[in-house]
Amino acid sequence: MAEITVTLPPGVGLHARPAALFVGAAAKSSCDVTIGRPGEPGVNAKSILGVMGLGAKAGEEMVVVAEGDGADDLLASLKVILETPEAGHA
Amino acid sequence: MALQVLSPMPGRVAPLAEVPDPMFAEAMLGPGLAIDPPRGPVVAVAPISGTIASLFPHAMGIEADGGYSILVHLGLETVKLNGEGFTLLKAKGDTVVAGEPVIEWNPAEIEAGGLPVITPLIAIQAEASAITQLVADGTEVAAGTPVFEVA
Repeated sequence: MAEITVTLPPGVGLHARPAALFVGAAAKSSCDVTIGRPGEPGVNAKSILGVMGLGAKAGEEMVVVAEGDGADDLLASLKVILETPEAGHA
Repeated sequence: MALQVLSPMPGRVAPLAEVPDPMFAEAMLGPGLAIDPPRGPVVAVAPISGTIASLFPHAMGIEADGGYSILVHLGLETVKLNGEGFTLLKAKGDTVVAGEPVIEWNPAEIEAGGLPVITPLIAIQAEASAITQLVADGTEVAAGTPVFEVA
């Protein structure tokens, strides 16, 4: 099992567009992936509704946990997606 | 069994391709259609019965018991308004019946602020082949009119 903690960049948080990009990347992997706030149970990172339902805001810390083949690589790419401010916003 | 999805508002039915935002136009979140609302006070109602799994001032995601989820995104880039111009009538986690009021907003004010008000209605992460549109593009519908089925 691999785990990373990411601080969301300035902007509007994990709303529809970032959630779609994040879930799109997670869903391509065979790993089990969750995302949530530190100390709280995470939600399925392959569910757009679940990820949007977190209502995560800019500046919040999010913990992403992956289990399975290629978990480390997956987390590295998910970290990039989460830390990239939206083009044209932020 | 097919799940009927109601228009959350009165307005004109438009294809997602008409939505000036690639995230919706290219169905990144899933297939569906868009509603172009009247310019005046509007109450957005739940498109299906279920649990409010995601709720923002400008968007609601409702999960049906059968597993399908429907997203209503009021206007585009409206996340930037931080809730200004929207009034929530429900809370995240609430159970709603299709047709029940969830969010009040005024597309005339949002449009005056420079943001598009066309509203995508999306079957989240569904296959494009899973939905059947029930009304033709361009039709004016009332709030609560069934506009597509997802199965």
